[in-house]
Amino acid sequence: MADKHKPAPMVDEVSEFEILELAVRELAIEKGLFTAEDHQAWTEYMHTLGPLPAARLVAKAWLDPEYKKLCIEDGVKASLEVGIDWINQMPTKFGTPSDYCNLRVMADTPKLKHVVVCTLCSCYPRPILGQSPEWYRTPNYRRRLVRWPRQVLTEFGLQIPEDVEVRVVDSNQKTRYIVMPERPEGTEGWTEDQLTEIVTRDCLIGVAVPKPGKTANDPRPVRKALKPYSH
Amino acid sequence: MSKPHYDREHHVKKATGIGDPQCFKGEAGTPKYQVGDKVRIRDLPDVFYTRTQTYTRGCTATVVRLVYETPPAEDEAWDNTENVEWMYSLLFKQKDLWPEYADTFAQDTLETEIPEHWLEPA
Amino acid sequence: MTEINPEKIELDQEMESRNLDKSAIPVLEKIKKQGRSWKELSNQYGVENPDPPWKITLEATCDVLSEVSCALPGIERRWEEDELCDQHYADVPFPERQLLALAHSLIRRGLIDEEDLAKHMQEVSKRLNMV
Repeated sequence: MADKHKPAPMVDEVSEFEILELAVRELAIEKGLFTAEDHQAWTEYMHTLGPLPAARLVAKAWLDPEYKKLCIEDGVKASLEVGIDWINQMPTKFGTPSDYCNLRVMADTPKLKHVVVCTLCSCYPRPILGQSPEWYRTPNYRRRLVRWPRQVLTEFGLQIPEDVEVRVVDSNQKTRYIVMPERPEGTEGWTEDQLTEIVTRDCLIGVAVPKPGKTANDPRPVRKALKPYSH
Repeated sequence: MSKPHYDREHHVKKATGIGDPQCFKGEAGTPKYQVGDKVRIRDLPDVFYTRTQTYTRGCTATVVRLVYETPPAEDEAWDNTENVEWMYSLLFKQKDLWPEYADTFAQDTLETEIPEHWLEPA
Repeated sequence: MTEINPEKIELDQEMESRNLDKSAIPVLEKIKKQGRSWKELSNQYGVENPDPPWKITLEATCDVLSEVSCALPGIERRWEEDELCDQHYADVPFPERQLLALAHSLIRRGLIDEEDLAKHMQEVSKRLNMV
């Protein structure tokens, strides 16, 4: 993983384009062309916050073997039960190259661990998982995961035992993937909501496994104000 | 000023409300391979565009699922959607892809999708 | 392989008949010349993200203008973007180009005012650069 002591570089400068974007948006709101709420809702659409729909899908499947079967057989249909319509809900209503409408749910077993990558670009199941994390799109992850998966997983803090098969899934065509990890011990009797909490984004990509007590996703990228307005 | 009237919306019209790749269902005919078949990835030229990874070329794999029907990426890149074919999900042994892959982990695998015209029986 | 689309012909005819005023807009010309693109900035600061942080909000603006307010249908915006980029913004990288074309369309359609925009940009600039 990246050196934790060095902050990621940022562009420490406001460009004319950045200003234009905000000015156009604010004027349009001022003229009543749309509201700030409309805009916020559309922006957030792709930047899903809070428990991910995919996390609920996994939690439901842990509790309901029939639903688990459906997930494995038809991910798009299974997504409907967690409120995600891959075809009609997307703003485009057909699936763009980034959001083709074929989801596969890769179920781990005690002897099989899946992990997802897109070596060609950054294909990612956005409708159900939001935007991909920055590291997912780096050449480092894309190039090395297919070839040295155990090494890369170790960098994420995940050691896979020797007797477990590691299966890398390379998302190179129109299928998008999520991983359904094994339900961890210590979650007996938990509700769907409780289980949903521990299925973090990284668990769904396959670079982490769920643990009771570990509920927060990795901190989401926050673009801090370079020069915050002082009230 | 006159402009050529290419139909840039034909895909939208076909896929809206149905989804892509769902909109190509039933257009590929009979699949050449079935689940369990052993195939080899052909080493075809890829002058313009492909989504068949170089690291799979010449390697053998097992068909694990017939995933959907679609025009191959090589055609779609040029907006050609005429030649719809089957897409196969294939399972490779890591040792077959990377000869130096550690023997200790010989059970490790990789799954990815390859269109039919890139495959030959192994 | 690709059939002639009668709807596209209709769209071309309709849009051409509107005689979009494609003349340059001074405030946008200034940004075109002086604005530093994300490509330039990300190179300078060693940032790997290929897209500027404002790309997502720009896309949302285009989406709501089309889908929520219907003030600027997406298909017409893209048609005008093609025309305007040919004429003025061909050398500007994407998505800066998309942003300039959007502002151009909004001004020419009378949805926002050129002077208002210039003024408001000063205000935004002051806010964003405040120390």
